[in-house]
Amino acid sequence: MKTEIIKLNNVIKTYGDVKAVNGISFSVNMGEIFGLLGPNGAGKTTTIEMIVGLRKPDDGSIIINGLDNIKDIKKIKEIIGIQLQSTSLFDLLTVRELIELYGSFYSTNVDYDTLINDMLLKEKQHARVKGLSGGQKQRLAIALAIVHDPQIVFLDEPTTGLDPQARRTLWDIIIKLKNNGKTVILSTHYMEEAEVLCDRIAIVDSGKLIALDTPNNLIHDLHRENAIEFYCEDDFDISSIKAAEEVSNINEHNNYFTVYSSNITKTLFTIIQIANLNNWILRDVKTRTATLEDVFISMTGRRLGE
Amino acid sequence: MKSYLLLTKAQLKIFARNRQVLFWTFFFPVFIMLMFGAFVGKDQGIKLSTAIVDKDNTKLTKSTIKNIKESSLFNIKENLDKDTAYERLENGNVDLIIEIPKGFTQKLNDQVRSPLEITVYYNEKNYSNAQVGITLVNNIFDNISKDAQNYNPLFKITPKGIEAIKIEYIDFLVPGIVAMMIMNMNMNGVAGQIASWRERGILRRMQGTTLKASNFISAQITARLFLNGTQTFFVILLAWLVFDIQIRGSLVGLVLFTVLGILTFMSLGFIIAGIAKTPESAGPIAGFLSFPMLFLGGVFFPISNMPELLQPIVKTLPIAQLTTSLREIMTLGTSISELSFELFSLIGWMVVSFVIASFTFKWE
Repeated sequence: MKTEIIKLNNVIKTYGDVKAVNGISFSVNMGEIFGLLGPNGAGKTTTIEMIVGLRKPDDGSIIINGLDNIKDIKKIKEIIGIQLQSTSLFDLLTVRELIELYGSFYSTNVDYDTLINDMLLKEKQHARVKGLSGGQKQRLAIALAIVHDPQIVFLDEPTTGLDPQARRTLWDIIIKLKNNGKTVILSTHYMEEAEVLCDRIAIVDSGKLIALDTPNNLIHDLHRENAIEFYCEDDFDISSIKAAEEVSNINEHNNYFTVYSSNITKTLFTIIQIANLNNWILRDVKTRTATLEDVFISMTGRRLGE
Repeated sequence: MKSYLLLTKAQLKIFARNRQVLFWTFFFPVFIMLMFGAFVGKDQGIKLSTAIVDKDNTKLTKSTIKNIKESSLFNIKENLDKDTAYERLENGNVDLIIEIPKGFTQKLNDQVRSPLEITVYYNEKNYSNAQVGITLVNNIFDNISKDAQNYNPLFKITPKGIEAIKIEYIDFLVPGIVAMMIMNMNMNGVAGQIASWRERGILRRMQGTTLKASNFISAQITARLFLNGTQTFFVILLAWLVFDIQIRGSLVGLVLFTVLGILTFMSLGFIIAGIAKTPESAGPIAGFLSFPMLFLGGVFFPISNMPELLQPIVKTLPIAQLTTSLREIMTLGTSISELSFELFSLIGWMVVSFVIASFTFKWE
């Protein structure tokens, strides 16, 4: 039986003329890693900051663990831990001093030594924040977020700007949080990160929720298990391929074609046949499994990075 | 309670580790004190460099010159011929030339009733010194004339300083420097630091925890009281060691006004941090307020030197109340009860600015 630990109902936040969050509703289940996926400026950070009580929604309601997040924000702060995207810490304090300081802000604390060990910061515990690497800083930020053993942990783009190895180290830590029974709300604009980590993903774009499901369902529901990509300088006529039953969608971008098909053998054969008949030259022909990136493109018409 | 203690400790560690800031905030007042103390402190008042050209050259003129020499206000240069003296007056090495004409001695013995002319040369470029000098020379020769004619004055003036204490400029300066330091460290320091912490999201991150704003602010106040108290102590200690300044009043009063000053200027700093949209604008706003206070508020010059119209306004400034009270206590030994205007004005400033600061304080 799944328990809803967070529930957003038609939440709206406007800055001037811009609707940063435009009527978002979803629920997060206890114990899952819930992903908020979307490009920069989609409203991920604003959504997280409203849930944790740092911003007030213009409309709608947010319930956390049965408590209203405006009336009962004090009680809520005790059971949530946050790592904010734009946070910097006191540069001149050491890792251990900061953990002890943030620990003192709460009535309950985890064991500091265990926490420092778990976050792989033992060797750096007496180093000042100033001298930490990007990955170490993010691990410290997560340590500060869980110093009071919260039920729910919010991580706003924790891996942005990290090198691949530091990113993977952080993934392990996030999975460990889940294994320890915490609910994790994670925002990211990396598709593969959401696919690897999240139990469920909410795709947001321009302040709206455009899809919400498990990574597999998101891909399967669109019947895009496979994609064929190719480049053709000639004026490739896609109408005959599009008509085929097994082809669900075709995207064209600067003469790069992406064809989604449930029968890759048949579609690939058709494409090559048409090209051969018309003497069109195909280059860079590739086949691959469809990803969340494809889901995003089909829903928004844009790539994530754009 | 634990968060308050750890935040205080953290802030003190940040101060201690920010060596450069610590050094310059301490070095600046000390430097100003040493500089002003060394150059201005020793020679109190003016000393007029005066050349005397004695054309009569008798026993009597020599003793007259000796008399003039005894006046501490003149620095007499004798035995200069008229041309050398004139040249020195032109390029400013000499303020005055007194020319005693031939027949001076004879005139004193003659008792003839038409006065003999004694010429005093001065340089218009150095007008104020020359004016003082001419008045003094006038006095000296007036007295000589009176003595020679057995003149009996009806009145005699006896100047008496009511404080009966010898106060030098350094005694005046040190309390001013202490007040300046308190203003800079707290008003400018707090405004800059809080605005920068807000910009960098440090405050926002703390807002996401169960930490109370009052604990955060109390810790700031405690840490700064501690730091400023220590700095004030060392500045006064140094002034005592180098310039032998005295604290004549009660230490309790000194501590009381120092604490009041720190709290008032800190609250003003919090208000500025609230107004400033970016840390870059906090500096100029704090400067806009502190700069006039530095020059009007009696830090370097007495408020009584200000134009009459300005004085009542200046006296309402917190810096004026702080410099006046610290100065009165240190140099004159004035008791707290005699400083009730300063005490209550400063308390008023503190309460009002603290209330405004607590209403305008924003985590983000």
